[in-house]
Amino acid sequence: MKDRRLLGYLFVFAATLLVPAVVHDTFLLRVFTEAVMWIGLAVTFDVLAGYTGYLNFGHSAFFGIGAYTTAILMVRAGWHFAPAAVLGGAAAGIGALIAGFPTLRLRGAYFAIATWALARAIQQLVLIMDVTGGPDGMRLPAFLSPRFFYYVMLGLVGITFFAYWFLLERAPFGLKLKAVREDEQGAKALGLNPTKLKMQAFILSAVPTGIIGGVFAYWVTFIDPASTLGDLVSDQALVMVVFGGMGTLVGPVVGAILIFAFKTAFWAYLSDYEVLYIIILGAVIAGSVVFLPNGVLGVLPQRGRRNGPSPEEKGPGAVLPETEGGNSHG
Amino acid sequence: MAEPILVVDNLTKNFGGLAAVSEVSFQVHPKEIVGLIGPNGAGKTTLFNVISGYFAPSRGKILFQGKNISGKPPYVLAGRGIGRTFQVVKPFPGLSVLENVVIASFLRHPKRARAEEHAWKVLEFTELADKAHQSAASLTLAGRKRLEIGKALALDPTFLLLDEVVAGLNPTEVDHTIDLILKLRDRGITILIVEHIMRVIMRISDRLVVLNFGQKIAEGPPGEVARDPGVVEAYLGGGEA
Repeated sequence: MKDRRLLGYLFVFAATLLVPAVVHDTFLLRVFTEAVMWIGLAVTFDVLAGYTGYLNFGHSAFFGIGAYTTAILMVRAGWHFAPAAVLGGAAAGIGALIAGFPTLRLRGAYFAIATWALARAIQQLVLIMDVTGGPDGMRLPAFLSPRFFYYVMLGLVGITFFAYWFLLERAPFGLKLKAVREDEQGAKALGLNPTKLKMQAFILSAVPTGIIGGVFAYWVTFIDPASTLGDLVSDQALVMVVFGGMGTLVGPVVGAILIFAFKTAFWAYLSDYEVLYIIILGAVIAGSVVFLPNGVLGVLPQRGRRNGPSPEEKGPGAVLPETEGGNSHG
Repeated sequence: MAEPILVVDNLTKNFGGLAAVSEVSFQVHPKEIVGLIGPNGAGKTTLFNVISGYFAPSRGKILFQGKNISGKPPYVLAGRGIGRTFQVVKPFPGLSVLENVVIASFLRHPKRARAEEHAWKVLEFTELADKAHQSAASLTLAGRKRLEIGKALALDPTFLLLDEVVAGLNPTEVDHTIDLILKLRDRGITILIVEHIMRVIMRISDRLVVLNFGQKIAEGPPGEVARDPGVVEAYLGGGEA
């Protein structure tokens, strides 16, 4: 059963590899690249939010740290892009290690507030430093190949997804994280060290996010504190995850695609009403929490056992056989 | 007599100015079932929490298999062979019954397939196999208490702390659980049990330790302890009954 799922994921991934062969319009390919980026940010957000139970409102900090590390190494030290981006991921991982010690002791809203505050602190720090260019941001050497960036982003997010699939759905690690999410004290009695597991999850979430940030910086060639370290990165990832289905791998992917499609359409036709977008994001999250506690995935008929809350509680629809294709395409 | 498996030596646990457990000493020998009783608030659960590593002792020490384990965290003690259940049961509600037990099985079987195999054996033993794929939240209280024992059992413990695994069950379920506990002992597991229902504790315990206001007031075989004037007073004389 699990292998059939994996085949489905691989099939979808293979299909996305063909996108540049079909899409020749540069703007459209940019849109696809950004969609893939958001899938990556949503999936990495969910490792902590869904599997571990921690809402990280400082997710943007990892993205920004990766972006700035890459930019600084490339511009100020003349590094090549690839090692710079890898080091961006490492820097985000180290950031998670440092931020995790004080914050992962907190629970619920306290963790959300603490991580949000840390992200704001980093944003302020970047604003006043010289090496980051302060509020003027940084301009990177331009490499104008939409195809290159599509494939780099896709490869990165693909590797992240399949690594997560193995670690969270196949290996014991995912179940252990869920045990900590459900009951930390109870988990301790079963030989699990919650602090260590949470730290591992935090780093697992941060490293790919940092690398994605690095790719983003090189791709858009210009970064500033608002675009890489602002609230919107964390907030949008959160909405995608909650809307798609927390605590699953496919949920954030589906959520990211739907929300990003909406966002793109919104900016294309209604860009005069910028404030409206934030209001709609807020409404979507409030609505999801109330009406779709398991996200869009939760309303699809499936064998719910693997995705947390039992199918028994969801009425007769839940006993229908699961539809594999529905999951993959959203 | 064989070396004691657990030695509680002059153990004190203070919360602020309150001594929840005060200078308690006793020993548990391999394959014994020792009952820990006492009126509400006597310090039984606190003592459990100290032995299982949830609280560090304020004074005194705990030896397990001859080694000092005072202040070691619960997950280390689980590795050493100490399993425990909680008075307020702690199933992972969003996960299935099988997943609950698989998580505990990881301690001895790090590979997922082996852990699942092991979990199925535990589920057969605790008669939860037919409910394996239900969510843990959907179990009845009796089921949740059995799952609690199952999870502790999946750790392959040598020593088990059972905290009120019978309370709240109907008489049939009580007998059922007693059988289960006796089967555990036959498997060679040493048990320290807290229980309020005297019928149960008298029947299964080899020895009793009685606490009142955090202090040990009696220790011995069940028949003897039941006639101890201090114990009778603690239960009946304090206006508690």
